[in-house]
Amino acid sequence: MQVSCDARISRGAGGFDVSEIVLEGVSKRWGETTAVDGVSLRVPAGSFVVLLGPSGCGKSTTLRLVAGLEAASSGRILIDGRDVTALPPSARGVSMVFQSYALFPHLSVAENIVFGLRVRRLSREERERRLERATALLGLGGLLERKPSQLSGGQQQRVALGRAIVAETPVCLMDEPLSNLDAQLRQEMRREIRALQRQLGITLVYVTHDQVEAMTMADRVVLMRGGRVEQDASPAEIYARPATSFAARFIGTPPMNLARLADSPAGAVVRGSAGPALLPGRGDGLVAGVRPESLRLVDATHHGALEAEVLSAEYLGADTVLACRVGEEQLSLRAPGQVTPAPGARVRIAVEPGSLHVFDAASGRRVDGGAATAP
Amino acid sequence: MESRGFDRVLETCAAWLLGILWILPLAFAVWTAFHPAEYQARFEPLAPLTLENFARAWHAAPFARYFLNTTLLCAMILGVQLVLVTLAAYAFARFEFFGREVAFSLVLVQLMIMPDVLIVENYQTLRKLGLVDTLLGIGLPYMASAFGIFLLRQTFKTVPRELDEAARVEGCSFLMMLWKVYVPLAKPVYVAFGLVSVSYHWNNFLWPLIVTNSVETRPLTVGLQIFSHADQGIDWALICAATLLTSAPLLVGFLLFQRQFVQSFIRAGIR
Amino acid sequence: MTRLSANVHGWLLLLPAAVLLAAFTHVPAVATFWHSLHTTPKGNRPARFVGLRQYETMVQDPVFWQAMWNNFLYALFTIPASVVLAMLMALWVNQRLAGRGFLRMSYFVPTVLPLIAVANIWLFFYVPDYGLVDVFTRVLGFGPTNWLGQRDTVLGALMVMTVWKEAGFFMIFYLAALQQLPPSLSEAAALEGASRWYFFRRVIFPLLMPTTLFVLVNAIINSFRLVDHIVALTKGGPDNASALLLFYIFEVAFKFWDTGYASALTMVLLAMLALLALGQYFFLEKRVHYR
Repeated sequence: MQVSCDARISRGAGGFDVSEIVLEGVSKRWGETTAVDGVSLRVPAGSFVVLLGPSGCGKSTTLRLVAGLEAASSGRILIDGRDVTALPPSARGVSMVFQSYALFPHLSVAENIVFGLRVRRLSREERERRLERATALLGLGGLLERKPSQLSGGQQQRVALGRAIVAETPVCLMDEPLSNLDAQLRQEMRREIRALQRQLGITLVYVTHDQVEAMTMADRVVLMRGGRVEQDASPAEIYARPATSFAARFIGTPPMNLARLADSPAGAVVRGSAGPALLPGRGDGLVAGVRPESLRLVDATHHGALEAEVLSAEYLGADTVLACRVGEEQLSLRAPGQVTPAPGARVRIAVEPGSLHVFDAASGRRVDGGAATAP
Repeated sequence: MESRGFDRVLETCAAWLLGILWILPLAFAVWTAFHPAEYQARFEPLAPLTLENFARAWHAAPFARYFLNTTLLCAMILGVQLVLVTLAAYAFARFEFFGREVAFSLVLVQLMIMPDVLIVENYQTLRKLGLVDTLLGIGLPYMASAFGIFLLRQTFKTVPRELDEAARVEGCSFLMMLWKVYVPLAKPVYVAFGLVSVSYHWNNFLWPLIVTNSVETRPLTVGLQIFSHADQGIDWALICAATLLTSAPLLVGFLLFQRQFVQSFIRAGIR
Repeated sequence: MTRLSANVHGWLLLLPAAVLLAAFTHVPAVATFWHSLHTTPKGNRPARFVGLRQYETMVQDPVFWQAMWNNFLYALFTIPASVVLAMLMALWVNQRLAGRGFLRMSYFVPTVLPLIAVANIWLFFYVPDYGLVDVFTRVLGFGPTNWLGQRDTVLGALMVMTVWKEAGFFMIFYLAALQQLPPSLSEAAALEGASRWYFFRRVIFPLLMPTTLFVLVNAIINSFRLVDHIVALTKGGPDNASALLLFYIFEVAFKFWDTGYASALTMVLLAMLALLALGQYFFLEKRVHYR
């Protein structure tokens, strides 16, 4: 990969320019509602960045602002070092894959793919070259003469991808492209899209509400909530050090356990329980987070284990998910194999050292002192 | 794709120009009807308004009777249409009877060959039935509306069959099912059809002209025509007033319920 | 549901509508053909079978040919004009232009007015010298014209009136079709840099083809069916210059009381409508994009 003097513009592995995207304090307001509130982020050239979040968090709007389909109420958007905030979509050098694919129903697959190339009056040889390349990359051979209505969901998706690829723009934007596909197809397409991005080396901004997609595909995950950026980090970092309790619960399956803490003479204990203390110091106003995989059942000989009462047990085959009550809080953990405690049985739970996260109860923000370390 | 900037201004101007041009005839008629005869050609904004033209028109011909006739006619036609069309559409949508496809094709024929063009024969039929110069005679050819059957059949077909089965489990007969399940679900389509039907029959002219001879049966459109061309000298203010009277109910209805009107016609047109 | 039950119930439900349809559409259509092969019954003289004689009379009747020619010209102008205007209006109303409500109302209002009322209003417009049209043309330097009283202008005058009445009605169908287009299509096209004209030409117009076909069929049927304004304004004159086929049928049947000949004329009308139906059926299979 050649890198030019200007480090922001580089040549992607696929042979065309790739660009960095920068958002500076971008907001979008519609009357009373603010969909995007002062979002600033940087998408490095050639990287795969996922905008993740629940519905209504502003991720799609942010994407559309980058695309130019919506005009920003304030802030700046830079692509490739250029201020594109006032430019129309076609002048920004971006291509987009829509959630509904947006294929033209009356055109064949081939015509759909080269639509933009025709608009820009590329020569026929160039059009055919690019079409062939996209067809080969996406396995669309044999489908070129069909109309979109004659294709399956997965095939339509690939055609939409094809249209984005032939544009050969440095930036590609995708708005929940896999949400209309069934689970198995989604898995396949995840891998394909990731491979494609690596192969072509383009800058990809991908919007989804599915944290599995984010974790498996992204170089960086931008978690959004209420129009703001909750956390902007690599998947590993978000997983190991979530910046807020919201991030902690959003990422990871099953979700992280959050337990309110209380003061006790020995330190911070789970609220409503008698100990042992999980942390030294204050407990009130703090929330402890621990992932289910970091808890295990132990016997009476183990020191420092929490006393718990089993509420329910779900046998999944490889392991059993136990929901237990500790004090006033509820914790879930996974026990290997089949464990069948009677409901109400008392068990003891040990917390793996170094696996605790601590958050402020009121703001949700991470309080450092939580000893989790990134792997 | 929306236009931006200067293009948008240009387009807005063009659209408005056409809009103004389009409303001009009606605006002109309204002006003439509401102002005394002297102001016909003079468009002074402060000219006095008057209802005198309407009063005179009302008394110059039996418009009250014409109004009654038209209202009764439209109500009768629509009433019968709703029943016939519902039953027929239900049959086509849910019953697999012998000759169904052929029968439906024959129904569709009426979409192309309307009673309006078969005036010669239909008049003969009315004569044999003794229905010349009656409201029933005017309405009869239109009561089995192919358009309505087509529309409702389409709508009934979208009702999920599970509802049928659920109703049958509850012990519903076919007719009860029709009344309790299908008809309520098709309400918007009924409204749409109703508006289209009333518009059509309120404004129908040629057939009623042929069928009616007397004031007792004559609808507004025919009455207006006779009134406008009576040998009484051309009094435009009077004619405009009479014309507005004739169009008033639909016009006012439209202006008040614009969205519903347009939505209805749209719904009726989505074939 | 057993087959017997389905048959019995199905036909019972259909019966009332079927009877009326048969009585006022199918039977008259066939009867028209039958009566066109006979003379007109007069008083005590019943109709006699005369084969194709009525048709011979028709072919030699200059008024018939004038009416056919008029119908042809009439369709030739009013149909494209109304369809193009309808599409334009729908595109404009569909955008968020200022005063959209006014535009929609203004374009659609002629549809809710009776054609008879429209005819009277336009009669007023067409009055030589005082009518608004002449007032306007006087500004442009032309003298007074007897729009409805001259052979060369009467059909044109009627055509303008018809377009005014019909365009708004067809606009509705285009509006319905436009509203069903997913907005992401225009966004995708915008991203690719397509201009509005390109998008219209390559995407919207083809996707509106089914609607255009539907509107065309309706417009053609209407051009045969609507003669109220002729009855009201010109009575086919001057000198049959504005006679349309259905109007001529009306005159022959109800002014001259020559029902035999009128039947023959009606057959021509029915034949053209049948041709239209066939054409629509075949065209639909081939040209129009099916979603």
